[in-house]
Amino acid sequence: MNTTDFLLALDEMLELDPGTLTGGEALEDLENWDSLAVISFIALVDEKLGLVVEGEKLVKAKTVADLLSLAGVAVPA
Amino acid sequence: MVASVIDGVRVAGIVSCLPGRRETLDHLAARFGEETARRIGKATGITARHLAGPDECTSDLAEHAARHLLDRLGWAADTVDLLILVTQTPDHLLPASGLLLHRRLGLATSAAVFDMGLGCSGYVYGLWTAAALLKAAGGRRALLLAGDTTSRVLDPDDRAVAPLFGDAAAATALEADPDAPPMAFTLGSDGAGAPYLTVPGGGMRAPDDPKHLFMDGTQVFAFTLREVPGSLKSVLDLAGWSMADVGRVVLHQANAQMIRHLGQKIGASPDQTVVALDNHGNTSSASIPLAITDALAGPLTSGPLRLLLSGFGVGWSWGSAAVTVGPLAVCATMSLDSSTASAETAG
Repeated sequence: MNTTDFLLALDEMLELDPGTLTGGEALEDLENWDSLAVISFIALVDEKLGLVVEGEKLVKAKTVADLLSLAGVAVPA
Repeated sequence: MVASVIDGVRVAGIVSCLPGRRETLDHLAARFGEETARRIGKATGITARHLAGPDECTSDLAEHAARHLLDRLGWAADTVDLLILVTQTPDHLLPASGLLLHRRLGLATSAAVFDMGLGCSGYVYGLWTAAALLKAAGGRRALLLAGDTTSRVLDPDDRAVAPLFGDAAAATALEADPDAPPMAFTLGSDGAGAPYLTVPGGGMRAPDDPKHLFMDGTQVFAFTLREVPGSLKSVLDLAGWSMADVGRVVLHQANAQMIRHLGQKIGASPDQTVVALDNHGNTSSASIPLAITDALAGPLTSGPLRLLLSGFGVGWSWGSAAVTVGPLAVCATMSLDSSTASAETAG
């Protein structure tokens, strides 16, 4: 799964228009990033990449780029 | 990991009981706002929950379920050799609520009775314990009662937990039967999970703190993905089943998305995977039997069905079972208010 696909999947998960997220967004500014979204994110990464994100690392993520990095997806420059 | 196969014990019937009061997404919208309520419903698959009133205890729900079960099975109360109550919301600190139920149900003084303090893993642990003890002690009949009134140990204004949990209890009858197919179990524990799903107040460590449930959903889900798929695969191997042999997969019902995800991960089809929490929420140790009586009453009263079960959560604690159940004489969901059973077929 490439960066664009992953960002589009995050857009859909957070009920944003496709193409909204680019990587630099702060998670605390995203209205729908909450405990339920966190579960959706873990499920998304596990489903698409076969990787279980560690909870301790996820709570430290500050930006969308941090999420990409946790998922092992290339972070946009 | 504990792995055990127990033969010679069969499940005879299952009855679940819900409290009468019901809270819907409309109630949540009034407290948390429309948009939040809509998102909670979408993300969890939970649109309503049954909640105990201030005078209703787990033992009341369990008593109703057990009475109906004994009645429909035609079992005299004094033929029950073992009663196990799985609950984290007892009537009192002591005595164990199972003893109150011993009295209320009219069991014989020769019966063995005790409580088990487990939550979401409790039904599988209870089945394992009841089946193993029935076998080991040479008893004939056991009642496994499992449930919680979790709504009474959470803050109704806590958005992180209040919309997720409902109340229920279920009664399962087990009987010694030399022809019963073997039951396979795998069980595990990890006390490192204790801080992430807990009611720290109200016990002896912090007796004066409020009894409010705390849950770190991220940790719970990460633990679930780490342990549960392997536990399910192990129990399938132990039973000598492949996923194609399984009639239905009934996982602890905490979150619809999580159930579908786990089902997919272990290779179960959507038709095999039971999702039955929309009207109940997470009912702790009652969630597996409640999903069974709600979704599988028809197939289980008409014939045997191979069930793959898994309960997991508070502890951390988890257990999976591969069991062949049915035909059941009774498989029903009832309400504490009306005391009427629905979706029931008497055999």
